Amino acid sequence: MSAILEVKNVTRRFAGLVAVSDISFTLGKNEILGVIGPNGAGKTTLVSLISGTLRPTSGEIFFEGSRITHLAAYRRARLGIGRTFQIMRPFPGLSVLDNVAVGALFGHGSGESDLAKAREKARAQLDVVGLGKFASQRAEELGGPNRKRLELAKALAMQPKVLLCDEVMAGLNLVEIDEVIEVLRKIRASGISILVIEHVIKAIKKLSDRLLVLHHGNKIADGPPDAVLSNSEVIEAYLGSRRA
Amino acid sequence: MDLLAQVLINGVLLGGLYAVMALGLALVWGVLNIVNLAHGAFIMLGAYLAWHLYTYLGIDPFLGLPVTAIIMFCVGYALQRGLLNLVVRAPMFNTLLITFGLEVVLTYLAQLAFSADFRTINPPYAGNSIALGPLVVPLARLMAFGVAVVLTVGVWVFLLRTKLGRAIRATAQNLVAARLYGVEPRHLYAVTFGIGIGLAGAAGCLYGTVSQINPYIGATLTAKCFAISIIGGLDNPLGVLVGGLVLGIIESLTVLYVGATFGDVASFGILVLVLIVRPSGLLGKTT
Amino acid sequence: MTASRLGVVVAVVVVVAVLAALPLFSSDVIIQFGINALLLAVLAQGWNIIGGYTGYASFGNSVFYGLGSYGVAIAMVQWNLPFGVGMIFGAALAVAFAFLLGVPVLRLKGHYFAIATLGLAQVMSAIVSNIGIAGQNIGLVLPPLNNDHLFYELSLGLLVIATLTVFWLTRSRFGFGLIAIRENEEGASVMGVNTTLYKVLAFALSGVFTALAGGIHAYWITFLDPESAFDISLNVKMIIMAVFGGPGTVLGPVLGAFVLSAVSEILSSKVTNLAGLFFGVVVVAAVVLMPRGVADVMRQFRRTGWRYFAENLRAHRI
Repeated sequence: MSAILEVKNVTRRFAGLVAVSDISFTLGKNEILGVIGPNGAGKTTLVSLISGTLRPTSGEIFFEGSRITHLAAYRRARLGIGRTFQIMRPFPGLSVLDNVAVGALFGHGSGESDLAKAREKARAQLDVVGLGKFASQRAEELGGPNRKRLELAKALAMQPKVLLCDEVMAGLNLVEIDEVIEVLRKIRASGISILVIEHVIKAIKKLSDRLLVLHHGNKIADGPPDAVLSNSEVIEAYLGSRRA
Repeated sequence: MDLLAQVLINGVLLGGLYAVMALGLALVWGVLNIVNLAHGAFIMLGAYLAWHLYTYLGIDPFLGLPVTAIIMFCVGYALQRGLLNLVVRAPMFNTLLITFGLEVVLTYLAQLAFSADFRTINPPYAGNSIALGPLVVPLARLMAFGVAVVLTVGVWVFLLRTKLGRAIRATAQNLVAARLYGVEPRHLYAVTFGIGIGLAGAAGCLYGTVSQINPYIGATLTAKCFAISIIGGLDNPLGVLVGGLVLGIIESLTVLYVGATFGDVASFGILVLVLIVRPSGLLGKTT
Repeated sequence: MTASRLGVVVAVVVVVAVLAALPLFSSDVIIQFGINALLLAVLAQGWNIIGGYTGYASFGNSVFYGLGSYGVAIAMVQWNLPFGVGMIFGAALAVAFAFLLGVPVLRLKGHYFAIATLGLAQVMSAIVSNIGIAGQNIGLVLPPLNNDHLFYELSLGLLVIATLTVFWLTRSRFGFGLIAIRENEEGASVMGVNTTLYKVLAFALSGVFTALAGGIHAYWITFLDPESAFDISLNVKMIIMAVFGGPGTVLGPVLGAFVLSAVSEILSSKVTNLAGLFFGVVVVAAVVLMPRGVADVMRQFRRTGWRYFAENLRAHRI
C-alpha cells in the first residue's frame, strides 16, 4: 500500500513543553489509521501539524510524495487534506447548509465557483452524514452530536483525499457511535484515507486497519489493533502506575 | 549634551504622567475586556474636579488627589453597575461603541457645565523648579511623576497581593472563578471599573497641574493611553509604567531632533510597530 | 424571482429614482444635506465591507478618505489634472495603502486590529501635515465648481455602485469567503480560504469606495486640511452608522446613515447645544437595546415584538 501521507521525525515545542517528539509514521492509501493515547499525548497537536494550523519545530511532512511541512493551511486544504476539530469550528451565524457549502466552494482543487452548485453539493454531503433536515437552521442552534456531524460534512464537502478526524465520537451514545463508524466506512469506500483520533477504544478497534499510540508526545506503538492493544507498554500508559 | 539630558529628564517626567493616565485604561481593558473610549474624558473630568476643589475650596491638588480619586471611583462604580454591565457579554465591539457614546455625552456635558475656556490648576509652588546642575526640573512635574510611580506600584501590589486584587484577576480569567472567591461578579466588575476611573481621576488631577485643560482633551488623551497600554502590554501595571516612560522619552526626543509636529507621528508610529511586531507589548506574556 | 424579492427590487428602484429627482424640487439646504447624507452612506457601506462582512472593525478608513481627498486635491491643484483622473489617483493611493499596510495589520485580531488602524490614521494625519506637496498644515484649495446638483448625483451614483457591490458580495464566492472569515477565521483557512488575500482585498475594496467619497467631498467643499481629511471622528461616525443600521446586511448601513443624519440634522436645528449630547445618548441606548442594528430590529420585530429588546438585554448583561 503506497503512503498518501508521510510524517518524518516531527517534533513540536511550545516554549519549554514538548507536545510532539520525533514522531514518524505513514498513512496508506485508503487506509483507516486510528490514533489513541491518554489526554495530553499530543494527538490534536499532531493533526494540527498535518493540517497546517501549526508548523513543526523540526521534521518533515509529505503528502502524495511532495513536501508540505511549511505550506499554508489553506493550500493544504486545496491539495486535499480535510480535518474536523475536536473543539468544533462551525460558522455560527451561517445556516448548516452554507457551513458545508464553504467547503464545496474552497476545497480540493480550485473548488466550485457557483454558489447554487456549491449548495447542491453541500446538500448531498448533509445527506451522507444524516443532517439533511437541518439544512436551513443556523449552525449555532445545533446540539452536540449534530455539530460533530456538521464538522464531518464540512470536511467532506472539500472532497478531501485525506480526512483527519479529531474525536468525532466524543460524547455520543453507543447507537450514535455505530452510525459514525458506518459513515466513516462509507467514506473510506469512496476512496478517502482516514486518520481517526479517538478515546473510545472499542469503536476504534472495530474501525481501524492500524493503530498508532501516542504517550507524552512519543509514539509508543504502531501496528494492527489486536497486537497494539495487548502491548504491555500501551496498557501501562493507559493504566498508569496502578501496575506496581 | 546638556540639552539632551534636559530632554531626557522631561521625557521621563512626562512618561510618569503618561503611565498613570494609561493605568486605569489598561486595568479595565486587561481585566474586564472593556475598551473604554471615554477614558480620556474621565481624565478630563478628574482635572475639572480638582480645579473646582482648588478654586472654590482651596484644596491643594496633590493633597486633594485622594478625594478626586474616590469621587471618580464612585462615578465609575455607578456607571459600570448601572450601564456597562448591561453589555458586558455582548461582542466586544459593542463596548467600543457604547464608550464612544459616553465620550460624546461627557464632552458635551463638560462643555455645557464648564464652557470651552482653557484652565489650569496653579498652586503657588507650580512655577518652581529644582536645579540639578545645569538641568531644570519643574517641581510640579516632579511631584506628578512621584505620585505616578507610587500609584503604579500601589496598583501592582493591590492586584498581586490582596484578596480583592486576586479576585479581580480571577474574574479576568472567567466569571465562574470569580464566584468561587465569594464575590458577586456584578460587584466585582463595578469595583474594577471604579478603580479604573478613580485612577483616571487621579491622573486628571496631576494633568491639571502641568497642562491646560478644556472639555475637548478627552479624545487625544484616550488615543495616547491606548498607545501606552499597547506598548507596555496589558498584563502588568509595571508594563504600563514602562510604556509610559518609553513614549514620554521617545516623544521628547522626536520633538527635539525631528521637529515639534512629529511628536504624534512618533507615538503612533511606535504603537503600530509594536502591534505588528509584538502585539502583547513590551512586558506582556507571549502566548 | 419570488414575488417578495421582486417587490424589494421595485421598491429600491423607485427610491433611487425619487432620490435622483429630489434636487429638482428642493432648496439648496436640502440638497446639501442630501450630499452629506449620501456620502456618509457610502462611507458606512465601505466600512461594511471590511467591518460588517469580514469582521475586521477598521478605525483606519479615515486614512482612505484622506488619501482620496488629497489624491483629488493634489492632482487638480498641483498637476492640473481633471477631476476624474484625480479620483482614480485617490483610489489608487487607497489600494496601495491597503496592500502595503493591510498585510501586517490584518494579521492582528479583534480590537488589536482596531487599535492598529487607529494608530495608522494618526500617523498618516501627522505625516501629511508635514509634506509640501500636500500644502502641509495649511492644506489645499481646489478650483471651485458651483454645481451642487452635480455633486448630489455623483454621490448618489457612488452610493448605488457601492450598494450593488455589497449585494454582489452576498451572492459571490468571494463574499462567502469573507463571511466565513468573519464567522471563524481558522475554520475558514482549513477549508481552503486564502484568508490573507481575501482580507486584503476586502480592505482595498472598502478603501476604494471610501477614497472616492473623500474625493467628491474635497472637490465639493473646495478645501481640505490634514486634520479634517483624516478626521478620526468621521471614522467613528461611519462605524456608528453601519452598526446602527445593521452590519453585514446590504441596506443596513444606508438606512443607518440616512436615519442618523436626519436625526442629527433635526436636533441641531431645534436644540443646537444639545444636539451632540442627544447623539451620544442615542448611540448608548442603541448599543444596549439593539446591538445588531436597525435592520435586525426590522427583521425580528414582527416575530418577537417588544420582547426583542428585553431578550437582547438578557443575553448580554451579567
